Amino acid sequence: MTEKDKLKKVGDILLNNAMYIIIAAAVVYIAIMRPAFIKLPSIVNILSLTAAKLPIALGIGGCIVLTGTDISAGRVVGLTACISASLLTTVFKVFPDMASAAPLPLVLLLVIGVGALVGFINGFSVAKFKLHPFIVTLSTQLIVYGIILMYLMRGVNNGQTLSGLSENYRSFITGTLFTIGGVAVPKYVLYSLILTIIMWVIWNKTTFGKNMFAVGSNEEAANVSGVNVMRTIIMVFMLAGMMYGITGFLDGARIASANANTGLNYECDAIAACVIGGVSFVGGIGRISGIVVGVLLLQIIFTGLNFLSVDANMLYIIKGLIILIACAIDMRKYLVRK
Amino acid sequence: MKKLHKKILCTLLSVSMLAVLTACGGKDDTAKTTDTSASVSKDGSVAVFYYTYGDTYISSVRAALDSALDGAGIKYQDYDSNNSQTTQSEQVTTALTQGATVLVVNLVDTGSDDAAKNIITQANGVPVIFFNRSVSEEAVTSSDKCVFVGTDYEMAGHMQGEMIGNYLLENYDTLDLNGDGTISYVMFKGQEGNAEADARTKYGQEDADAILTGAGKPALSFYDVANTNKYLVDQTGSWSSAAATEYMQTIMSQYSEANNNMVELVIANNDEMAIGAVTALQNAGYNKDGATVIPVFGVDATDAAKDAIEAGSMIGTIKQDAEGMANTIANITANFMDGKAAFDGVDSANVVGTWRVNIPYATYTGK
Repeated sequence: MTEKDKLKKVGDILLNNAMYIIIAAAVVYIAIMRPAFIKLPSIVNILSLTAAKLPIALGIGGCIVLTGTDISAGRVVGLTACISASLLTTVFKVFPDMASAAPLPLVLLLVIGVGALVGFINGFSVAKFKLHPFIVTLSTQLIVYGIILMYLMRGVNNGQTLSGLSENYRSFITGTLFTIGGVAVPKYVLYSLILTIIMWVIWNKTTFGKNMFAVGSNEEAANVSGVNVMRTIIMVFMLAGMMYGITGFLDGARIASANANTGLNYECDAIAACVIGGVSFVGGIGRISGIVVGVLLLQIIFTGLNFLSVDANMLYIIKGLIILIACAIDMRKYLVRK
Repeated sequence: MKKLHKKILCTLLSVSMLAVLTACGGKDDTAKTTDTSASVSKDGSVAVFYYTYGDTYISSVRAALDSALDGAGIKYQDYDSNNSQTTQSEQVTTALTQGATVLVVNLVDTGSDDAAKNIITQANGVPVIFFNRSVSEEAVTSSDKCVFVGTDYEMAGHMQGEMIGNYLLENYDTLDLNGDGTISYVMFKGQEGNAEADARTKYGQEDADAILTGAGKPALSFYDVANTNKYLVDQTGSWSSAAATEYMQTIMSQYSEANNNMVELVIANNDEMAIGAVTALQNAGYNKDGATVIPVFGVDATDAAKDAIEAGSMIGTIKQDAEGMANTIANITANFMDGKAAFDGVDSANVVGTWRVNIPYATYTGK
């Protein structure tokens, strides 16, 4: 190997791991400027915010693997958050006839079901009518928003924010999982961890997961080799919808107030996180670990910039640059492979 | 056979979507077509344009206005402009071609007069009632059949600041958690480039400072000295509780009682953000029964905020009188339809000149 080759190889390694290097550099810089950034309370804060944003990204990741996207995600989170907040409450404004909060597991199943239903409509329309997921989910995004608005006008609620959640719902989500060095870690971190493991198993250890990657990299080839393409696409979107349902369930209690704006634009951050984490729009490429890293990176940058008191306007620019650079690196890898 | 199969699936899909829709629209839609029981139904119809159905406060105005118009026996149609001036202007055209005789407009674009003037020109003699979102005097007075029903939007900020200043003076020593003699605060701003958000952000703090310094106390200090803006803004511009929750959670990971630098006061541009901050505080063990309460102030007096104030987890808010606004609009609408003077029957204390009615704000602290 010549000197030049060696240099090139080092360069490749640096570029291919650019995201990890950027994370490390950012953490070191922020920690020097603001030592509190790497103290325990701050680390727990970053981890819990990451955990809160992970499920939706895990769901959307599958859609991106299929070369698609899902822009209805945020609104589904909004709808399911509103459903959860209206049923698990102490003031029944949407359903004035109810006297006590619905059972927790039932509501969880209900919102997962609602998410799955929207996912089914998305997946079915994509697979059956061969429509681009952007168009399909644009439609369902609007439909779901309309449903949220109608739902909030139900009963005696008059479009008001839903609050006054029941204590057992809030403590089920935001209660203390364990305390480390005097800092409480909320329970939803555990739920997020469980979901990550489940998704890892689905993506890596099941036939469905393998089919998903096969359809994502080459639909025709997958079809020829006996993969049921339609069923795979529908299931990917349904799985994503279930994840949004769970996100809505968690967010309802985490924010403790749900209204028509809840979930707005959540999909943007989730898609950005997936792309940063190497889930490629080229299709058929992506790892759960990548998604986790993507969400974590975005959260570290945001929290860090907040610690550094950076002007809010700069946040947009920095976020845009990160996404652009991440995609460029990602594409470069793909071109090299070709 | 395959084709038939496809058709069946299509139908099933549409039916299931419809089923979802109708299930959600359960509320008696019959009330909307208003030739019901109302005694004297008037000639003509009103078109009402809301800047977005997604706004909590505007939703309460809508509910109140719907029932006020129902009560007056006036036919109306509601439009959701979905936060787009283009959509709204097109809806106005549609409504006028349908023969609307009065337009009630909650303008989307308050940045310039152009949108308002455009609507007045289009209306061409049809009365226009602007409400809630500010329209300049110049635009409103350009037509003698145009009025504005709103609030003196700067008042909300002034009243919030005054309420905060007085509350702080009464409880100064308990609120100064670290005993350094100054109150550190955080300000949550709803949106950049919105006149109301700007005014609330400015006066909410300035007026509180004025009261504090007037009583010989030091002015408020922003918790993060390096932040020259002296506020944290919702990045999505939607005045959302989620933004406030996440900011507050992040703040508390760095500033706490243990570090002797806890934030001692939370000022929010609206109740959504106030509630968001309360949630984060509660998750960290504050603002509950028997725990330290960090005072949180908002604006709007939404039901959620009132409940929080009742429960003691929030201190105060500024009430925008949704019903008062709706009743005034309905009153003026009826006047236009009956050919009376526009402000006939409107409380003259609230009327400004010949063009504007200000619905007063009120402080709300639950007492």
